[in-house]
Amino acid sequence: MRKRAAACLLTAALASAVLSGCGSGGSGRVLKVYNAGEYIDKSLINEFEREFDCTVVYETFDSNESMYTKLMSGEEYDILIPSDYMIERLIKEDYLQPVNWDMIPNSENLMDSVMGHEAYDEGHVYTVPYFWGTVGIIYDTTIVKEADTALGWNLLCDTDYAGDIYMYDSERDSFMVALKALGYSMNTTDTAQIEEAYDWLVAQRDTMEPVYVGDDVIDNMISGNKAIAVVYSGDAAYMMTENPNLNYFTPEEGTNLWYDCMVITKNCADTELAHAFINFMLEDENALRNSEAVGYSSPVESAFEEMRTTTYQGISAYVPRSDNPNDEVFGYQETELKKYLADLWTKVKAY
Amino acid sequence: MRHFKSLIRPYLVWSFLLIIIPLLLIVLYSVTTGGNSLLNIQFTLENFKKIADPIYRQVFMRSLKVGLITTLICLLLGYTLAYVISGFKERAQTTLILFVTIPMWINTLLRTYAWISLLSDNGIVNSFLNRLGIGRMSIMYTDFAVITGMVCDLLPFMVIPIHTALSKMDKSLIEASHDLGANRRQTFWKVTFKLSLPGVVNGVTMVFLLSISTFVIPKLLGGGQYVLIGNLIENQFISVGDWNFGSAISLILAVAILIMIWATKKIDTSEGGER
Repeated sequence: MRKRAAACLLTAALASAVLSGCGSGGSGRVLKVYNAGEYIDKSLINEFEREFDCTVVYETFDSNESMYTKLMSGEEYDILIPSDYMIERLIKEDYLQPVNWDMIPNSENLMDSVMGHEAYDEGHVYTVPYFWGTVGIIYDTTIVKEADTALGWNLLCDTDYAGDIYMYDSERDSFMVALKALGYSMNTTDTAQIEEAYDWLVAQRDTMEPVYVGDDVIDNMISGNKAIAVVYSGDAAYMMTENPNLNYFTPEEGTNLWYDCMVITKNCADTELAHAFINFMLEDENALRNSEAVGYSSPVESAFEEMRTTTYQGISAYVPRSDNPNDEVFGYQETELKKYLADLWTKVKAY
Repeated sequence: MRHFKSLIRPYLVWSFLLIIIPLLLIVLYSVTTGGNSLLNIQFTLENFKKIADPIYRQVFMRSLKVGLITTLICLLLGYTLAYVISGFKERAQTTLILFVTIPMWINTLLRTYAWISLLSDNGIVNSFLNRLGIGRMSIMYTDFAVITGMVCDLLPFMVIPIHTALSKMDKSLIEASHDLGANRRQTFWKVTFKLSLPGVVNGVTMVFLLSISTFVIPKLLGGGQYVLIGNLIENQFISVGDWNFGSAISLILAVAILIMIWATKKIDTSEGGER
């Protein structure tokens, strides 16, 4: 009988370990933050913990989609830092709670220009900007002729540079490039335009033999393995400081203008602490340190100006273009459209 | 021993929770549509029909090819290595096997990143070739890079079972074979290899299983265009969010693997039966 009891006890222990996950030890207040990888100055977290006598459980994701999948599987967080289109989806699916702007006095530090594009969240009810930027092309000035950048996105189809190109391995960004190169909106739902973009990508694949990469593009471009890559502006700014031969431009046909924002989830209990965290990140000094560590453009005016005129002086990628009417923010996509694009993208890559 | 039987129960519950239920869920997902929440499901075979698309067939064939080549190379290298190791004194053998497993102490991801810096266009191998006057070669993002990475990663899984089989073998059988007039080659094929066959089958099964479902190594060393089944499944679950289609692919892969394991076991027993 005793053995049976022992067996039951063991089972119960194992099962509860599985079901509960690893409980967070320690006492006091806890804040669970879920952010993209390599996207924060970690020392800021420690400082926040000390200042507010709390524990921050900090976890990272590698894409908005994997973040969403984790949320779907029932994982709970207090603060998320996803991109615009994903936020739109989270709002539609009722995952977020409104931000109380009165509890974020540092919001007056935010630049006006980052607050004007809130198609993803009309009036910034749920979102506080974290970083922002564009998508463009980084190129090696020792190989690519300056004049060729006038080709815009079609530089990616210039056979002079065949075999010398990195594309971004995500259907969203690649279809954005193709649709913009063809002069369409990247938020199109017109299947004829999408088909045309697909043909563009297939033709580019066949003639240019690009390599489709993820974050490894950063190391690859810094060590000069290939000459051209489609990258996010913040990554470009970082690469340009590491390798002086690199330059960045945003094609005239328009690009993806994006905003990553801090949002509070519906199941966040300690909203006071959550607001304190958001406020903390918008403090002039902290925003500057964060931007310096990551390389992305800060939405905080003083930090942005400071970076632009000192550390990142002359690094064009740090200053995202915000005056081209062709630039767009990604919108929410219906599931059917998403699946359709994903299928097409698999076909482009796997052929 | 009888009275310890009840100790198996935690394991039964454990495996039911972590193996059987997820497997059943995969089967359920694969034959339904209606999203990931399983709230309003409809039964369908659409997911399986979709796999018949030529592009997905091609991905399957490529995975199969990469898996077979990796297994074959691992078998040749692994068998040779295990054979050489089993010829040493017992204590030296322990040390040598330890050396074989040392790479496994390091995370696969790190080892793959090491391969990237070795193989990339301005990497260590290329600067060496350049110095020798051979000139640069594009090694990254090719079959060669992917298979090199996979062989390196999976070799221990081949060496260890074969070595175990070889070292357990009764050496007097080899002497007997020589006494009976068999030459070295005959002795190897008719005695040594045959007796090590269970180890070979285990090694081949493990390496093949792991290589056909891998997705990290092809993604990093082969680039995004190197789509294998593993990548396809990862993609469906993580970025597309189509768990139904992802489950269907997983299920097909599982069935294909089961059939292949069954076939290898068949070879094993029929070879054994000849003895």
